[in-house]
Amino acid sequence: MLLKLTWLEIQKIAIRPRSYIGFVAITLVIFLIQLAMWIDGTSYIGFVTQNIEQTFLFEGKILNGNLICFIILQTLIIQIPLLIALVTGDLISGEAATGTIRLLLTRPVNRTTILLSKYIAGSVYTLLMLVWLGILALFVSLLVFGPGDLIVLKTDEVIILQSADVMWRFLTALALAFLALSLVGALSLMLSCFTENSIGPIIITMAIIILFTIVGTMEVPLFDRVKPFLFTTHMIVWRNLFEDPLPMEQIRMSVYALVGHIVVFLGISIVYFKKKDILS
Amino acid sequence: MKKLIPFLILCLVSDLIFSQDARALIAAVNKKFRQVRNYQAEVVIRTEIPFIKMLPVSATLYYKEPDKLRIKSKGIAILPKQGFNDLLQALGDTISYSALFQGEEVLKNIHVAIISIIPVSDTSDMILGKFWIDPQQNLVMRSQITTRTNGTILSEYLYGKLAAFALPDSMTVTVDTKKFKIPKAVAADINNYNSNAKDPAKQSKKGKIILGFSNYQVNKGVPDEIFKDK
Repeated sequence: MLLKLTWLEIQKIAIRPRSYIGFVAITLVIFLIQLAMWIDGTSYIGFVTQNIEQTFLFEGKILNGNLICFIILQTLIIQIPLLIALVTGDLISGEAATGTIRLLLTRPVNRTTILLSKYIAGSVYTLLMLVWLGILALFVSLLVFGPGDLIVLKTDEVIILQSADVMWRFLTALALAFLALSLVGALSLMLSCFTENSIGPIIITMAIIILFTIVGTMEVPLFDRVKPFLFTTHMIVWRNLFEDPLPMEQIRMSVYALVGHIVVFLGISIVYFKKKDILS
Repeated sequence: MKKLIPFLILCLVSDLIFSQDARALIAAVNKKFRQVRNYQAEVVIRTEIPFIKMLPVSATLYYKEPDKLRIKSKGIAILPKQGFNDLLQALGDTISYSALFQGEEVLKNIHVAIISIIPVSDTSDMILGKFWIDPQQNLVMRSQITTRTNGTILSEYLYGKLAAFALPDSMTVTVDTKKFKIPKAVAADINNYNSNAKDPAKQSKKGKIILGFSNYQVNKGVPDEIFKDK
């Protein structure tokens, strides 16, 4: 029953035009970044490495497909959760707004199964978006710019990873990004249970992510204590895969934090949804 | 006053003699350098810079007289901006500096002469050059070049089979590193709550690049095209 319901939910997502906004936006952003790097990538690289090039010389191909993919992933890190929330944020509330939730709940299926099917359908949507992102950002960039060592710039250090050591990191990073985006799906689904209009949960999810990201970005000692407890901090766990050696403890902690948040958000959703009076 | 004049003459003469000694030693070193018209070699570059993490990189080094030098690597390699091929230029241009003999020292069980060179022009980037030269083999064992732009660059050389051509088996370049910091917005290093910027290893102000040379092919010809493609 869960599979059948999930398939129905996937179909519901597929027929809504807004589901394609994310794909179009990602395609456009990636195309623009690739075009900009193709035309003016050398001066961009010169700008970010000028600090090092006062003392050292770089030899080799810095501007390559791996670097372009890394830049794209970094650029899209804030936007993709918003695109996911656009779809997952009204999985319940959208149906409440249109009144179809009442009809759905008259079927002989328990509410937990209905909620889980919606969450799984949202996760499938997330997965498809990440696969699309991976194809455009990684494979097209490699095709256009060619392979090469990846130079990872951090605020206080530079890591250079050899070309042969990069592909598995990107694939694992996409898998971890899926986990992080599933958390956004769970959060927006939870908020979706609380309201009966479709725009509210989407806006609140976006607001929470933006707020947490701002707090995480600001270098204020007060916020430093809070940062480890913000789920947005753990959502960029994929970046840790581009460190050498891998900070396994930090990755493990972030994975636990992400899974924990998903379980809590889904748990709250199930408890609330099961008791919810459907008045619409 | 009568006693002072001979002393001053003695100082002047001894300075002239030592200067001539220094010039003669540099000339001998240059003569050895000039035997090499061109060469290529395999090089393994190991980087020990506080803010850079990378594995050793293999590359091929090409040289053609008088000053063409090119390193080609499949991956990204980091080289010191100065200190790598400055030795030839610094010692080769004999009219642009004054040379002084500064004494002797034992370096890795070898008696070496210490020669300092001071540029004649006050607009030169190099402020001072100091060379530890093995007078028996006419080999530079260590050089320390202080520049206006990059501080002090210390290079140490280890010679093997090709000592007769003054080509080292290994070279260690130690440079002064500036503090590395780029804005979060540029690095997109957001939410980096676990920054290890206070790591003492990263606070070090010295960086080392170690180059291991092998498979030298000396005076067998290097095409000019190699130096054009950059």
